[in-house]
Amino acid sequence: MSNPAGLISAVTYCDPKAALAWLEAAFGFDLMFLIEGEDASVAHAEMSHGASRVMIGGEWSPAHASPASIGGKTTQTIHIYIEDDVDAHCQKAAAAGAEIVEPPTTQFYGARTYRCRDLEGHLWTVSANVETVSIEEMEKRSGLKIAVAKT
Amino acid sequence: MSSRILVSLRIAAPPEVVFDAFVDDIAVWWRPNGLFAFTPRSPGVMAFEGGRLVERLPNGKVFEVGVVSVWERGARLVFGWRQAAFTPDMNTEVEVRFEPVGEQTRVTVEHRGWDSVPAPHVARHGFPNTVFLARHGEWWRNLLAGLAARANSVHLGAGDEGQS
Repeated sequence: MSNPAGLISAVTYCDPKAALAWLEAAFGFDLMFLIEGEDASVAHAEMSHGASRVMIGGEWSPAHASPASIGGKTTQTIHIYIEDDVDAHCQKAAAAGAEIVEPPTTQFYGARTYRCRDLEGHLWTVSANVETVSIEEMEKRSGLKIAVAKT
Repeated sequence: MSSRILVSLRIAAPPEVVFDAFVDDIAVWWRPNGLFAFTPRSPGVMAFEGGRLVERLPNGKVFEVGVVSVWERGARLVFGWRQAAFTPDMNTEVEVRFEPVGEQTRVTVEHRGWDSVPAPHVARHGFPNTVFLARHGEWWRNLLAGLAARANSVHLGAGDEGQS
């Protein structure tokens, strides 16, 4: 099956099998592809959220580390865009053990977001549009000068 | 029973429709894979009949892929999976689950038991284990894409489209 042009993030965990179960419980991701090796280890795994995917893997090379292995540091964060209630999503994630870093907050640009750390310390931002805000209104609310490319 | 493949896809049709498309229309959505052919004379026409999955070969012979051990319409299907080159002690098993998710069905295929087929066996083509499983898994993804197209077509009332 060929993959369409686009981006997929691969997220590294010490225990990828635990991550698969956690991400399903906390965020409602679907496990869509799993290859288990002879010792039942995760050789390859993909989870889906709507039309998007993430790969879930172990620390398979010296260049790949979970935040849990390097003092909680991470060099990327993943954003989940949903069409449902952000507050309910946050409650579900918290119930699954997510550390809520920033509770649900309505942003000046019309999105409601929250941020959390997962079971090994990855940062995730969850966002839903709750208001359509004009560029002028965004500038007024934030005090920022906003440039948007014309499409 | 380690060394397993799991493939899952959401299909916009009810579980019973997806289940029926899986078993009744397998000849329509099945996409043969030359690398993992059941017999040297494959591909034939796939069918669930008499409590088993078979391939009807072009020479008229019928190859039994496996016996169905669980048939729960709209919920679960389990059947054996053997290639002609397997020895009697080699056998793999496929479990298909159909779970309602809102108005969709999450169909999950779990193909397990590949440990029973030793690494040097011809069925593995000399691939390292994970490469073999990944290639086979890609085939299952293709198969589920075909099943989705068929189930969607049936659900939308265009059941005869896609027949060739």
